[in-house]
Amino acid sequence: MTKLIRSAVVLGALFLISGAANRLTAPAQEAPRSAASVVSTKVYTSLDPVPRGKDFQVAVVVDIVNGYHMNSHKPLDSYLIPFTLTPQLPAGITLADTIYPPGKNLKFPFSPDKPLNVYTESVIFRMKLNAGDSAALGKTSIPITLRYQACNNSACLPPVKVPATADFTVAAAGTKAKPMHLEVFTAATAAAK
Amino acid sequence: MRRVLSISVLGAAALLASAAMVACGSTSAKNPGSRANLQPAPDVTFKNLDGAEVPLASFKGKVVLVNFWATWCDPCRSEIPDLIGLQDKFSSKGFTLLGASMDDDGKKSIEPFMQSTQFNVHGVEKTMDYPIVLGTDAITDKFGGLLGMPTSFLISRDGKIVKKYLGVVNAEQVTKDIESQL
Repeated sequence: MTKLIRSAVVLGALFLISGAANRLTAPAQEAPRSAASVVSTKVYTSLDPVPRGKDFQVAVVVDIVNGYHMNSHKPLDSYLIPFTLTPQLPAGITLADTIYPPGKNLKFPFSPDKPLNVYTESVIFRMKLNAGDSAALGKTSIPITLRYQACNNSACLPPVKVPATADFTVAAAGTKAKPMHLEVFTAATAAAK
Repeated sequence: MRRVLSISVLGAAALLASAAMVACGSTSAKNPGSRANLQPAPDVTFKNLDGAEVPLASFKGKVVLVNFWATWCDPCRSEIPDLIGLQDKFSSKGFTLLGASMDDDGKKSIEPFMQSTQFNVHGVEKTMDYPIVLGTDAITDKFGGLLGMPTSFLISRDGKIVKKYLGVVNAEQVTKDIESQL
């Protein structure tokens, strides 16, 4: 009986200690990385080609590194730096609207009482555009600048501008256009609600 | 069985101790109690909000906590009440806080923030009452670069970097560290 009790004590102690050791050795918080490396981006165009005279969309899918968040486009405090997308439009391409999905209200260790409106994980932004009659035919690019300011649970990275590019082909008016990346644009529409 | 029990407990204790060392090492660059191998603080000159030069060396003889922060940084804001508390507690004992703002637009953002933002310090509403200077990338480079904000450096009376704090400071720990230098 004594042996049994001792064995149980030893096993219990080892179990508790291994749990404590796991908690202690687990990375409490990933060290901050460079601000630009917190996100990766993919850019999609809704039509191929884009005929002159047609409306089309560009989606920018932003994947945020696990453990980080960035202020949404509409942070709850005026001093916080919002996420923005700024396209440099070529001649003949016009921007009707940029659709930013709503952020999530989350609390963090440094702000336990007041939630922050942030983006985490994967976020899809959309630009509604039009190819006018003066848009140059052929391969076209729209350089896009993402500006954001990211933090993890204990520290913030400086605001940064990251480039992305939408590449597509402009065709003559009336050219048959194939809808592209429906899954991305469907997900973006759902997320924006 | 008694021997097995002793060996198991000793082994487990060693495992726990080594795990604790790993965990502590991630927050402390240097042991503030040890004087060996301390790096001198960089020879940098800040500017204050009026444009006057503030050499870090001018604080020699005092214990200094250089705190790199920005008005847009929520974790930085969250630790300001503790920093005000440290200044209140230790400024008469040869300590000063030095807040180095990394706001791009400098005085334009900082001055209204300092004048209007109230912080609850142990139940009392206070504004930032410690010296604020302008940080630059050139200055942070001389500190070895910033991985994020807030980042703070504890500097001894003889101008050595005693400890680096990445992220929000633990008030209890930094209080102990400052006391160890006074």
